[in-house]
Amino acid sequence: MTNDNDFILKIDRVSKTFPGVKALDDIHLEVRRQEIHALVGENGAGKSTLIKILSGVYQPDEGAYLAIDGVELKNLSPIEAVRRGISVIYQDFSLFPNLSVAENIALSLDIEKGRRLVNWKRTRARAVDTLDRLGVSIDPDQELGGLSVARQQLVAIARALTYDARLIVMDEPTSALSRSEVELLFRIMRSLKDEGISILFVSHKLDELFAIADRFTVIRDGRYMGSYPKEEMDNERLISLMVGRKIEYTIYPKRKCGEPILEVRHLSKQGNFVDVSFVLNRGEVLGITGLVGAGRTELVQAIYGMNTPDSGRILIDGKPVRIRSSTDSVRYGIGYVPENRLREGLVLQQSTANNVILVTLDKLTNRLGAVVADRKDSLVERSINMLAIRPSDPEMIVSKLSGGNQQRVVLAKWLVGSPKILIVDEPTNGIDVGAKAEIHKLLRDLAESGIAIILVSSELPEILAIADRILVMRRGRVAAELDGSTATQEELMSKAILSEQTGASR
Amino acid sequence: MQTKGFRFWRAKEFVIFVVLVIICAIVTIVNPVFIHPSNLMDILLTNTVLGMMALGMLVVILTGGIDVSVGAIIATVTMIVGNFLAHVSGNLLLAFLVGAGSGAALGLMNGLLIAKLKIHAIVVTLGTMSIIYGVMFLLTGGEWVTQEHIPEGFKSFGRIVFGHVKTTSGGTTGLPVQFLFLVAAVMVTWALLRYTMFGRGVYALGGNRISAERAGFRIDRIIVLVYLFEGILIGFAGVVHTSIMRQVDPNAFNGFELQVIAAVVLGGTSILGGTGSVLGAILGVALIAVLNNGLILMRVSSYWQQIVIGLVIVAAVSTDIVQKQRAEARKTRVDVEITEGARS
Repeated sequence: MTNDNDFILKIDRVSKTFPGVKALDDIHLEVRRQEIHALVGENGAGKSTLIKILSGVYQPDEGAYLAIDGVELKNLSPIEAVRRGISVIYQDFSLFPNLSVAENIALSLDIEKGRRLVNWKRTRARAVDTLDRLGVSIDPDQELGGLSVARQQLVAIARALTYDARLIVMDEPTSALSRSEVELLFRIMRSLKDEGISILFVSHKLDELFAIADRFTVIRDGRYMGSYPKEEMDNERLISLMVGRKIEYTIYPKRKCGEPILEVRHLSKQGNFVDVSFVLNRGEVLGITGLVGAGRTELVQAIYGMNTPDSGRILIDGKPVRIRSSTDSVRYGIGYVPENRLREGLVLQQSTANNVILVTLDKLTNRLGAVVADRKDSLVERSINMLAIRPSDPEMIVSKLSGGNQQRVVLAKWLVGSPKILIVDEPTNGIDVGAKAEIHKLLRDLAESGIAIILVSSELPEILAIADRILVMRRGRVAAELDGSTATQEELMSKAILSEQTGASR
Repeated sequence: MQTKGFRFWRAKEFVIFVVLVIICAIVTIVNPVFIHPSNLMDILLTNTVLGMMALGMLVVILTGGIDVSVGAIIATVTMIVGNFLAHVSGNLLLAFLVGAGSGAALGLMNGLLIAKLKIHAIVVTLGTMSIIYGVMFLLTGGEWVTQEHIPEGFKSFGRIVFGHVKTTSGGTTGLPVQFLFLVAAVMVTWALLRYTMFGRGVYALGGNRISAERAGFRIDRIIVLVYLFEGILIGFAGVVHTSIMRQVDPNAFNGFELQVIAAVVLGGTSILGGTGSVLGAILGVALIAVLNNGLILMRVSSYWQQIVIGLVIVAAVSTDIVQKQRAEARKTRVDVEITEGARS
């Protein structure tokens, strides 16, 4: 039987409310001594919030129980967390590129001890000791910025060890590593475990999780979905625990539509994507999903001419085209709304009209560079009518419009060139549910009107709600093409994260 | 000191050193008067103030800040010190106290404004530059403190030299006493940056502000202290300047901030913060000093001097920025690993 002493970390009833959002709801987590514990959840499930509570950056809501090493802690501060032996390695490592490796390793400890002077001999000796303990050979006098990402990560781990960390939290530590670098990291994680250190490992790469973790805790939508030892866990179970977020969105009926407008054949780009082929039809919404870093954005940017592919062909209306710049793609009728632009693309203190024409000013000017009023007025009027912006007054200041109408103004901006193909990248990232629904409706309406839409999104319910067909990308390849009317979240997630050999070799 | 770790010929400073030697060689070939000991002593004397101020500026720029009010600060310090000497007391020690105190007060003002208002240093110091000049001219009416008002004791202190060097015109000179203040400033700044946690905080802040915060450095305190330290150095430099000129011209430092910043940047200090050294800053000062002196000795018109120095600065800053951008570009490669190539 276990008692409190078997756990290095025990948290219970942890909730965290931000204005308007409950990010965590009654979370429970226990990490045992000498355990590599996987914390799993979709993007936005609340993993980062939980990490920030563990590191003392956020305070949980009233009534939370948090104990390190059997001692209950209230009002945990970052420095107190470190003193208690919790060390977080953030995705960006929080290191100093301009300082030496030795200093990066020893600096925080000097601050924590309140030292005023630097002892270089001690600094160097400590760094050498810690690097030896990790069993890696890195020159302690080398400037950190000159090291590869993988080696910088080792330095961050070394720094955590100088604090006598007993629980090291690693946030997506493998996201920027190559296969062999991941192997080295895992070897080090296992040897740390043998030394008595526990590791909380955050990731959503399943094959890696099964290779290294002893136990799993899954959270979904800020709620605890359970903890399971490795023996009781398999791919299907993990995926079913992770996904299955309630779909709050209207599911639009899917259509089989029109003739092909865009064809992509065997498109490849070194380090970005490999052998991608697909067809986009008039009037359809094609969803592209996959993990962050699977090559989705790089692919759509290649179609838009911002990222020249190494090989392969792009056909528009059956004719091969070369798209080398965004000027080319605008000429071929392709529009691209980059990530976050739907949220950030407004000049709030300006009128609807001025916002709408922002992107296409050059189309409205005469030879002297002055805006031709007639052209502007007719164009703005067309946009307002097409997108049903209310109130329809073009001189209305945008900040006075409702959220949904503001979104329409932004979209109007990107539609002034009247594209035949519209690419939207994560259009609803970070906006509230109501505004999301507005955008979904808009995209569907645009598709009805005959525009072909490529929707890049990580949010599975969103993809399922509005995409007619879905491409799932994994590690630069199209892993699957699914029918939007029959696909499920589980299906999408497993295609996005499972490689063919997972499970077979382990 | 870690003699093992420091490889001078590989450091950024070495390049500046080589450039300096080449320029010295060229100037000497054109006009051998350049390496005459008395000319070298003259270069030391006339650039002591630049050197002391460059050290203060170095510390500021290392944090990622900048201070364009240094010309206004030293002009004000010299006016305060000059009037103090003329009307209150000729005591040397008191003069230094007054100088350092007024410099410290003005530096502290800059530091507090930058740290508390969280406005970029260039905006704050542009503002304080104007305010400091305005108040100073308002109170003094822009009147010079002339030679006859400076007490004899202070003047003779300013004439102290060590050793004997024959001048080209037949007189003798030596190592000026003012140079000792530069040496002291170099040692204090070097020790501060290298051996105190404050100094390491300066580098850490300039390298990555968010990491510095997470590591537990008190960012606001470091910023305030940096401008305070700079102010104190300028304060001493103001007294040193007065002892060299034996008079005070309130307009003597118009545009001087550019020379100071230029020296620091030429010395390999990144204008974005985080990298740079005392050695580099001193080499940068030497480069400016030799260029100024050498161009005169080569009888280049003073307009050309400004153009040449300007070109050197632009070249130095753009190499720094271009190097940084290249390093960034190398790291932002999209990491999509393709390992299952043979499979599907």
